[in-house]
This record gives sequence, C-alpha cells and structure tokens, in this order.
Amino acid sequence: MAEAYIFDALRTPRGKGNRNGLLYEVKPIGLLSTALAALLERNAIRPGEVEDAIIGCVTPIDDQGYNIAKAALLYAGWGTATTGMQINRYCASGLEAVNLAAMKVRSGWEQLVLAGGVESMSRVPVGSDGGPLMYDPEVMIKADFIPQGVAADLLATLEGFSREMLDAYALQSQQRANHAWDKGHFAPSIIPIYDRNGLLILDKDEHLYETTTPEGLAKLQPAFEALGKQGFEEIALQQYPTLERIHYRHTAGNSCRNVDGAALVLVGSKERGAALGLKPRAHIRAVATAGVNAVLMHTGAAHAARKALQMAGMEASDIDLWECNEAFAAVALHFQHDLGIDEAILNVNGGAIALGHPLGASGAILIGALLDEMERRDLATGLVALSTSGGMGVATVIERSVKNLA
Amino acid sequence: MIRYKKDTDHIVTLTLDMSGRSVNVINHEIAAAFVPVIEHLKQEKAKGLLRGVILTSAKKSFLAGGDLEYLYQAKDPEDIFRFAEKLKGILRDLEWPGIPVVAAINGAALGTGFEVALACHHRIALDGPKVWLGFPEIQLGLIPGSGGIVRLMWLLGVEKGWRALSSGLRYTPHEALQAGLIDEVAVTQREMLEKAHAWLLQNREGCRPWDRSGESIPGGTARDHEVSAHIRMLAAQLASQTHNNYPALQAILNILAEGSKVDFDTASRIESRYYTSLLRSQACKNMIKAFWVDYNFIKQGGNRPKGFGKFRPRKVGVIGAGRMGSGIALACLNHGLSVVLKDVSKPIAERGREYVRQRLEEWAAADKKTAAEAEDMLSRIQTTESSQDFEECDLVIEAVFENRMVKQKVMREAEEFMDEYALFTSNTISIPITKLAEASLRPESYVGLHFFHPAEEVPLVEIVRGAKTSDETVARAFDFVRAIRKTPIVVKDDWGFFAARVQNTYILEGITMLQEGYPPALIENLGRQAGMPHGALALADSLGLNLVLRYENQAAEHYGSKYIQHPAVSVLKVMLEELQRPGQQKRAGFYNYSSDGARILWPGLSEHFPTTITDYKRQDIENRFLFAQVLEAVWCMQEKVIHSVAAANLGSIHGWGFPAFKGGVIQFIHDYGVDDFIAQCKLYQKAHGQRFRAPRELREIVGK
Repeated sequence: MAEAYIFDALRTPRGKGNRNGLLYEVKPIGLLSTALAALLERNAIRPGEVEDAIIGCVTPIDDQGYNIAKAALLYAGWGTATTGMQINRYCASGLEAVNLAAMKVRSGWEQLVLAGGVESMSRVPVGSDGGPLMYDPEVMIKADFIPQGVAADLLATLEGFSREMLDAYALQSQQRANHAWDKGHFAPSIIPIYDRNGLLILDKDEHLYETTTPEGLAKLQPAFEALGKQGFEEIALQQYPTLERIHYRHTAGNSCRNVDGAALVLVGSKERGAALGLKPRAHIRAVATAGVNAVLMHTGAAHAARKALQMAGMEASDIDLWECNEAFAAVALHFQHDLGIDEAILNVNGGAIALGHPLGASGAILIGALLDEMERRDLATGLVALSTSGGMGVATVIERSVKNLA
Repeated sequence: MIRYKKDTDHIVTLTLDMSGRSVNVINHEIAAAFVPVIEHLKQEKAKGLLRGVILTSAKKSFLAGGDLEYLYQAKDPEDIFRFAEKLKGILRDLEWPGIPVVAAINGAALGTGFEVALACHHRIALDGPKVWLGFPEIQLGLIPGSGGIVRLMWLLGVEKGWRALSSGLRYTPHEALQAGLIDEVAVTQREMLEKAHAWLLQNREGCRPWDRSGESIPGGTARDHEVSAHIRMLAAQLASQTHNNYPALQAILNILAEGSKVDFDTASRIESRYYTSLLRSQACKNMIKAFWVDYNFIKQGGNRPKGFGKFRPRKVGVIGAGRMGSGIALACLNHGLSVVLKDVSKPIAERGREYVRQRLEEWAAADKKTAAEAEDMLSRIQTTESSQDFEECDLVIEAVFENRMVKQKVMREAEEFMDEYALFTSNTISIPITKLAEASLRPESYVGLHFFHPAEEVPLVEIVRGAKTSDETVARAFDFVRAIRKTPIVVKDDWGFFAARVQNTYILEGITMLQEGYPPALIENLGRQAGMPHGALALADSLGLNLVLRYENQAAEHYGSKYIQHPAVSVLKVMLEELQRPGQQKRAGFYNYSSDGARILWPGLSEHFPTTITDYKRQDIENRFLFAQVLEAVWCMQEKVIHSVAAANLGSIHGWGFPAFKGGVIQFIHDYGVDDFIAQCKLYQKAHGQRFRAPRELREIVGK
C-alpha cells in the first residue's frame, strides 16, 4: 500500500481571539490565503499540482461559512484545478483533515493533498453557528451535553487533580512556550501576517505572557462554576452519581485561550513528492478516532491515542515525543497519567494554554510543531492527540526515518 | 350550547352555555357545535350581513379548561392529535383575517378557556376577584394544546412565555392587561359588552400579529443568540431540577425553542405533536390521577365525616410563636382569616409577627403578593400573652414544643376562655392525641392538626383523630384545612401518623445503604434522581437523627414481638452515641455544616462506613428508595392509619414530596404494574429483608 508522507507544515502566528486582538481586523479567509500562498512559495510547486484541500473549521458560518476551503483557494489565486472542502470534527478538525488527506493518499486515489484548518474566534465566536447539541433543549438533554469547561472540572474532580497541579501545569506550558520562542524553535514554520500593502500585522503568538507567576495563577477565580451551578453540574452527576460535587479548579489561566490562526500540512505519496522535488519529512504511520462519554469528553485524546498505537503495533513507550492539545490543564494531565508518559516529552514547547487554541486549526498546528521538534531533536516517532466536544478523540502517529534522513 | 344573537349593527353575540354543567368545558361536543356556527358566520360575512362577533359565556366563568375526563383516558395517538388539531382548526378559523372577534371575558378563563380567548382579535375582561386568566395546567402535568403556547409566545416572547407557562402563572385582569395579554378591562358586564360593541364598530378587520407580514416574536426567536443561550440555560436548569422526570415542562421548552423558528401554523402543529406524546406519557396520567381525580375526592370530602354543615372559621388562635406557629399564622392570614398569636410574653409573640412580616416582604419581592395585600394581612394578626384573647376564636391551634405537660397546660388555659363551639387542635408530631386529650375539658372537640415545616408552604395537613374526637370535630377540622387551601388527610392517632412514618422509611433505606457499603454521594444523588426532593442522609440530618430513631423505636413498641429491627438502627446508634453526630442542628450529622449553611458529606463516613460497593444497579437503588415508602404506605392503609388511596397519594406528594410524576405512593404500584410490583417485592425481600414483604391484601388495598 502507498504510504502518506508529510512534505511541509506551516502556520500563522496566533492572535488574541477578541476585538482587541491584532488579527481581528484580518478576515479568516485572509489568514488561510496567506498560508496557501506561503505553501506554494516554500515548496516551489504550482497550485494545480495539489489535488484537494481539506480545511477544518469549527464554526463554519459568516466569514468562515459556505466552504471556506474552496473560497480561500479561489481567493488565493490557486486557479481552478484544486478542489476544497471544509470539515468539522470540533477541536480536532485540523488533525482530522491531516488524517483524511493521509487516507486519500494511502488509498492511491489521490497523490498530493493539502490539509489544515482555520479559525477566527474573534470574528466568529464558538457557538455562533447554533446547532442542536448546543442549543436545542430536547437534544442537549438527551445527549447529556455539558459545556467543555464544566467537563474539564468534572475530569479534574474524578482524577483528583488539585488546583495546584493544574496551575503548575499551566505555568510550565507558559515557560516552555516562552523558551521555545526565545530559542527560535517555532521560527521555521511561522508565516507572518501582513496587510495588503506589505506592512506587518503580526509575526509572533500574541497571547504569550512572559510574566506569569504561580501567585498570579493562584489568584484567578474558577471560570466554570457559575455555568456548572446553572444546572450542568447536576447533569454531570446524573452520569457520575458517586460524586458529591464537582470541584471547580479550571480558570482562565489553566485553560486554553481563544485565538485566531490558520495552519496547513502538505501530504502526499513518495512518488509524487519525488517527481515534484518535495522532501518527505515524515510518514503518517497510524490514525484513529475514538468515541467516549460526552460528559467525559476530555478523555477522548487518550482513547484515540491508544487506538492509534494499537493500529501501528506500538506501545506508548515507543513514542519519542508527544503533543496533546491543552484545551484544559486536566486534559493534558489525564493524557499523561493515562498513557504513562514522561512529562519531559509531552508538549515540550508549551501548548494552547500558553499560545491559544484556534479550534479548527489546532490539530494541524500540533502536527507541525511536533514534526519541527522531532527534527530538531532527531527523533523517530511522535504522536498527536486531541479531545473534542461531544465525546470524541482523534490521534495520529508520525514517524521519521532517522537513519535515512540523518 | 352556543346561543346566537345578532343585533341591528350586524354584530353577532355567541354565548357559550353548555347544558347540564355549571361551567363550559372544551370537549368534543362543543367543538362539534362550533363548526356549523363558523360556517354560518362565513356565509353571513360573504353576504355583507356580518360586522363582527362577540364571544362570551352564560356561566359564572368564561370557559373552564379542557375535558380532563377525556384527557385522563385518552390513549390513541391519532385520536389525541386529531382532536387537538380540530380545536386548533376551529380557533384558527375564528381568528383568520376577516370577521373580527372580541372575547368578552366575563369570568375565569383558564387553560383551554384562555386559549380560546387568546385566539380572539380583541380581549376585554370583566374585573372581579374571581376572574383569573392563564395556563395553570402545568400543575396537573399538562400543557396547552390548542395553540396557547404558540400564541402566548407571540404575545410575550420566549422568555416571559416560559415563565408564565412553566409556573402556571394566573393573571388578574389588570395584570393581564399590563402584560399585553388582554386589551381592555371593564368594570361591569354591561360596560364590557359596550366596549366590545364599540371596538367592532371601529374595526372591520381583525388580524393577529402572526398573520401580519413584518411582525416578529418580541425579544426574538431561538435563531437569535441571546434567546438560544437563554433556552440553553433553562434546559440545564430544568434537567438539574427535574432530572428529566417531568415531560410537560420539557415539552413547553421544546415547543418554544422549535416553534419560535418556524411560522405560526407549523409551530402550532409541533405543539400538537408534543401535546399528543405528553398525553400518552405515564407521568402525565399519574399527575392527572393525583392532582385531579384524587384531589377532587379529597376536596369533595371523601374522608370527611358526613352530615355536618360547613364550618366557616374566621378567627384562629395560635399558641407558640416559633417557626411552626408563625408559619401556621401566615398560612391562615394568607387565606383571609384573622389570627391571635400567643406566646409566654408579648415580646416573644411579637417575634412571630416579625417572621410573618419578613416572609411577606420576600413574597412581595418575588411578586407573589402586592404591598396592599401584605399590609392587609399584617393588619389581621394580633399578638398576645393572654389566653383571654382567644375568646372570639373559632379554633385554637397549639404549636408549642413537644412536651406533654406543656401542651396540656396551654390547652387548659385556652379552653378556659374558648366558647363551647370552638375547636382545640394540637400540632404534635409524636405525642398521641388521645393522651393529650385526657387533660381536655371537651375531648370530643379536641383534634390533632399536623402541619409540616414550613407550614406556610407545605400543602398537607394531617387531621389526627383521638379516641374521643367527635365526627363533627373531624369535619370542622377538615373544613378549616380546606379554608386555608391545604390538603386535609384524616389519619389514625398512631406513631408517626402517616407522612412522617412513611417518609422515615426512605431515610432508613438510605442509611441502610450506607451500612451496606454504598458511597454516600451515590445514596444522595440517586435519591434525588429518583424524584425525592432531598437525599435520604440530608433529610435525616435536617429532621435530626434522634427523631428518625424515635419513630423507629415507636414502630418497635407498636409491633412488639413481631418487630424486626431495621438495619439502619445500628447506624443511627453509632452516629448518635459513639460519634455524637445528631444532625444539622448541631452542624454535625451525615454532613458537616458551615455557618453559612453550606454542607459537605462528613469525610469521617468513609472511615466508619467504608465504601465497598462500586458496582451497582442504578435502577435497584432508586427502586429500593421508592418501594420502601410505597410498602409502608400500603401497611398504613392495611392498618387503617389512612383511609383512602386518594389521601395516601396526595398526602405523599404534598406532605414530603414523593415524586408527583409517579402519582403518589399508591399510584406508584399501578404505574409499575401490580403483578410486577409484587414480584419485585419478593426479590427485594430475599435480597434485603422482611421490610420488603408486601401484605397479602395488597391487591385489594390498592384497588384498581
């Protein structure tokens, strides 16, 4: 069977996802088309060479609506040959796009596929597309659908993660992200955003705090208690009646931030890559999705990771470097504990707690971040996993041939 | 059925007057009668011989609700849906742009009656103390099904519509006018009809907002973010408060959410579909059974001794100005009675007035009372330290603390001044009325009246008949309880009477589970999810573990050698004697209590009653909670502690919050299926002990 290779991965910097964010003035299609232009330039390929583009986007309405993938291809001047579609696997959309691209290539029916994601949370806030799971009273009750933050606090309560543990994790994410920026670890893959006159708007993740302290984190109020007390806690307890209550421990400081951003990953067969002079950086060894209890949605990442490892015939100990999306500190901690991962090789350059989580793009961002770091450290295997709303997880195992590339 | 009268202005007055009934109800009969009338009106209009229509009633009320007999029996989905759609069709014909129709609301228009009024182009209500408008049917577990939800939503918006529908809010004419539900208020019948006439002369067309282009639901639809976010919050609140046990509330919310997004007629059809599925639900049938069939049995004096004229109390004496006495005083004031509140000194009695004042302020803040009503109520309470002030009282209620000597002393003092027709009643929870009556000068006029805390809220009162209490006294006590709009159930003068005795089995079952090794949080959560208002352990704490044990000790005494000790007793003894944790009052029971009233389960429980069970069947736990109570209630019936299924059902719901969606303690068995229930009891008896044994006479006792 054909293998699916990653030839390139890039991303925009992440802007604060609100009216004061530097990318608020930029249309989401602008973020995506900037990334598309950069991809052509970096790889010296012609647009028609890419057969299809799969773009993750979680709130696909308004500025991001009506299939932003095809819209961006047309807007970016890619011509007519490349087709495009938008997908939504909630927070794992960007990774699902990569996985779908790999499946297309491995099926042999397509040779070069672009995957990625985009989200302007400042322009199109999450939830603004309505949706029965979120807003239909009959559906949300039947589905036990509770907000992510309350679900994160439920997970922390069940797992016994204290506020101190969550804050310590958050602080570490900040420190690692700062360190990575200082050392230029992100630089190879960042595509700055310029205005239409070539004037710079943003070239660094805007949400990075350099001055976060343990005391500062400890002062923050629980963010999801009011929501839980509105009734969602009781819905969660209907599923977990052995709990007396949920302890509210997630704050704005140890949860991910809303940001704007876009990312792309170029996936293809070895042959097509060779023909176009593209250098294979890694191959996609296994992918998986997993469904879990909706109120415990944040365990999806671990379940999907196990499934992907099984698919690859690997053990957790075979993985050299890990990325688990930091939607909330408890998600990453649960992932780490559940799979028995050394914290020194998980989210080594920080994550969404420090840098933000542009929903549809995050999975693709994590693939790029993992690959850059694997190359920098010359490691062979890596795994990316994300949990999603509704109780799902998505995971991807990638592998570099260290010997060959060295 | 429908009287038709046309005047010289070509205005037709349709007067509803159902024969053989004191009120007009909406049933198949009246629906059928409407069809030719509307047809005729259309023909008259076409000929230019009709200017408009006034719809009114010949009865004291405008239109009562739907035909509950039919709704209670209805089963076939096609029948229910068709009938709902037929009524909707008639109302839609009436309101379709063309002939303007005025509702001249001469009396109460509740439920379906209000739906008819809402379908008219113009509404004028006669002002009067008995004229109520609104949709109270949610209290029966029902919802409007003739377009009422959709019309109310269009008039009030989703948010206010939900509040009115979900609380069963009833409006006075002026409140309805202010809310925009009616257009005019008239002082006399004549003025009402003149106003109707005048409006019709000025308006040749009637057209509702939903039939005009460019109109929209006030406040927006569920497509708007703010509205959908609000609905989401309401859905979460509802799920957490009702644990998805009450389909009527859920249906209202669903209809508002879905109906706001589509046109009026589609929304109406969605309403019919939810209405149909609701009417078919067992929860709905159970609630109609309890709140209509059983309630009517009680209200019509099912257990009231016959042959005594109606007692109309005006002035009530209350002894004891603590929480219970003050609450009873407030309940009396709330229904037009005057109260003399006595305690050992005037300043102490004044504390009771202060309590009443505070509660009234809260009620006023929550729009449950107007300032004028509150002021009137406060003017009817008199405080005293002298029994002499009981001279004019029709009855005196003693609510001092549980001590036989004290209770008898205050009784004798009061009896000295009470006239010979007055009743003396005692609010005891555990001292037999027969014993207390021994000290009375007139034991035949002495009766127990067991109120529940908080007395101004809990709708149940147990009437405890002592050995010498006369039938007439019981009848008068019954009439008094009805006068303050509470549910009277007559019970035997036996340990725990009915409510406390049955409720205690719930508590004991929870405590037993703790002993068995179930996690305490599970006990509490599943109790509430089964439909009980509180967890068993929390309830034990709030009553006090001493009282819980005392009831069980009384059971032991009562049954003598036949008594089998309840497994919870040993836990209670450990908690009380060894661990010194008697309950909420000492801030230490199964829970720890902080000074602000917050509580957490006592961490020490895991040491003394370690959790050993992690694998459990949710259904079995919930069943045990409910079965324990149901069986005790059946024994109460068998032992003639309580005298009717209706009293047991309503007593359980109104007294301690047994799940209304099950229809009460006895209806539970029918809901479960009598055969299945008996079979399940046998299994539980084997697994958990004799307390799950069903009496042999169960079938006869619970009836059909």
